[in-house]
Amino acid sequence: MPVPIGSGPNRRQFLQRAAILAAAAPTVGAFLAACSKPAGTQGSAPSLTIAKPDSPVKWPIADDNKPIGDSLPPEKGATLKIYNYADYLSPQAIKGFEDQYGVKVEVSTFNDGDEAITKLRSGVDFDIYNANYTEISRLVTGNLVRPLNHSYIPNISNVWPSFTNPWYDQGWQYTVPYTIYTTGMGWRTDQVPADIGKLSNPYAALWDPAYKDKTAIIDDFHTAMAMVLLKQGITDVNTSSEADLKMVGEQLSALVKATSPKVTITMYSDMPAGQIGLSQMWSGDVINAVNYLPEGVGPEILRYWFPEDGKGLVDNDMLVTLKGGKNPVLAHLFLNHMLDPAVAKENFSAIGYQPPQNSLTADSLVAESFIPENLKNVIVKPEYFDTGYRTLELDADNDAAWHNVWNAFNAGGS
Amino acid sequence: MLQRSRQRTNRLWPVLAAPGVGWLLLFFLAPLYVVLAIVFGQRDPVFRTAVPVWNPLQWDPTQFTYVLTRIGPDGVYFPALVRTVVYVAAASILCLCIAFPVAYYVSRLAGRHKGLLIALLIAPFWISYMMRMLAWVNLLQNDGLFNRMLSFGGLFDPNVDWLTGQPVVVILGLVYGYVPYMILPLYAGLDRLSQSMLEASRDLGANRVSSFVRVTLPMCRPTIMAAVLLTCLPMLGDYFTNDLLSASPKTAMVGNLINDSVQAPGQTGQAGAFVMLVLLATVLPMVYYVRVTLRGDEVRT
Repeated sequence: MPVPIGSGPNRRQFLQRAAILAAAAPTVGAFLAACSKPAGTQGSAPSLTIAKPDSPVKWPIADDNKPIGDSLPPEKGATLKIYNYADYLSPQAIKGFEDQYGVKVEVSTFNDGDEAITKLRSGVDFDIYNANYTEISRLVTGNLVRPLNHSYIPNISNVWPSFTNPWYDQGWQYTVPYTIYTTGMGWRTDQVPADIGKLSNPYAALWDPAYKDKTAIIDDFHTAMAMVLLKQGITDVNTSSEADLKMVGEQLSALVKATSPKVTITMYSDMPAGQIGLSQMWSGDVINAVNYLPEGVGPEILRYWFPEDGKGLVDNDMLVTLKGGKNPVLAHLFLNHMLDPAVAKENFSAIGYQPPQNSLTADSLVAESFIPENLKNVIVKPEYFDTGYRTLELDADNDAAWHNVWNAFNAGGS
Repeated sequence: MLQRSRQRTNRLWPVLAAPGVGWLLLFFLAPLYVVLAIVFGQRDPVFRTAVPVWNPLQWDPTQFTYVLTRIGPDGVYFPALVRTVVYVAAASILCLCIAFPVAYYVSRLAGRHKGLLIALLIAPFWISYMMRMLAWVNLLQNDGLFNRMLSFGGLFDPNVDWLTGQPVVVILGLVYGYVPYMILPLYAGLDRLSQSMLEASRDLGANRVSSFVRVTLPMCRPTIMAAVLLTCLPMLGDYFTNDLLSASPKTAMVGNLINDSVQAPGQTGQAGAFVMLVLLATVLPMVYYVRVTLRGDEVRT
């Protein structure tokens, strides 16, 4: 076949074109992220009802989204799909459920709630989701969750009574509690000689240049920024005050200059490895860190501080069943399974996060050598939920204002 | 007769090009339009996820201007953008310093070991980029191999926190990750360098150095340009090297800005705006490159 001379690409043109293709490469990831199916705005109210401890909410149950009927048989040979954080569910607990009902359990993971909700809206068929109460308004308003039929979940009697009628979901119509935790400060005594807990303002230690390159804060805009507010003595951790947010931004800039903290959620492994000596920390991750200590290093080097009067950040996660799930009966049974005292305790030992079970107290857990004596204060007490501060769902404008401060901080700018 | 076969081949080539053109339209131009529709689009009032607006007449520039007004010298994003340029430039230069001698040796001096060396050069591609970075996390840990080596068996206490926001570590991470991508195109270019030209320059009295500077380098300038572009463009969008080896805002690059805002509710448009900025910034060197190579063609003919 005659080929016109010079019409094929020569090497130079080939390189040119290769480079043009490469020019597109940096944008590919963002394209993919941007391409996630945008959901319409159908039926969603422009404003959100925000549940607060002092204004509890009983969510409506939509006509097309009634609870399932009583005494239905569990789905046979099904695959129960769970959507959860990584390392946040004990493999043993899953195995037990699989064996009991002869089904398969499949866990998909997300990195943070924002990512999770975006994915849930794209019409996935997960049965169970590990939610935070700061999402409940969006989950219900967006018609993503399925109301519970209590007859499948008798184990609710094992949890702290306050969680059977929580302010974020009066009458536990949609949620069962999963884990409880406080947010305080963790440190290693071999890297941080001072007793952080005895300082007049333990949070301020993160701004102490003595610990430069040794610190970390939690990679969650609300948790981290709430800590800055508490450090400054402001207890409204959901503030919409422009001045407060500006101050938080300035404090975060000062933080970068002073100690250049890592912004991460992997302190449970970074601190045992010695990369981090002092960190804002979730109580559950302190327990978790014990399991990650290298050989020859004992748990006695780990410390945790949370205000003794309980005036700090307290949180809980919960399990919900999703409307898009194909196995509603199994989903209910799984929720009940996780509230079983033995399963809950085993799950606690695997993930480090405490379930609000009546049978678990700080003293009993130390006595059983479940946790070391020096970490006794990682155990969450019921009264913390009366005195502590709670990060709440923010309305859209305020949420944007918070995120803008957080993104500016993450950009390393002023 | 000749005329007719010309015509036939004239029709043949567009047909052969069609899949590639179709591919570009579908996977480059269409997604680009999606990004634009999101940058200038709306947000869901409840979930604050991006809602693309397809009609350009209804586009809302709020998010784009939000980013634009913050990238100036006083803006919050300015340091990250400058950092990106500095890191990528430093890493590209280092890559070139490492890759050029390697490629030169393999293509021109390796002799019978050439096949083996090429296989070794391709070997890094067998291991995922992520795994190679995670290996460094292990090596650079406080009690990792690197610090233990520095301590010379406990004689010194180096106590260097490599993984908490050290710009040097991020730059070297980029170099380590992307250097194979630079060696291969350089090798391809150098391998095809005309031997007779070099011999001519030596015959005409040039010594090794001047024949390298006056013949080899000018001849492989387009190759070097292509190799640098092939590595520095993906570096511009890289965020996980930074996340794994530093995770500190002090070393955040534009890739991290994109990643952070894509994941924040209601800020997908800002991420898109950064994507557009990176795209615009990379178009300039591309145009320069295309012009240089075109001029090269003119000179040759």
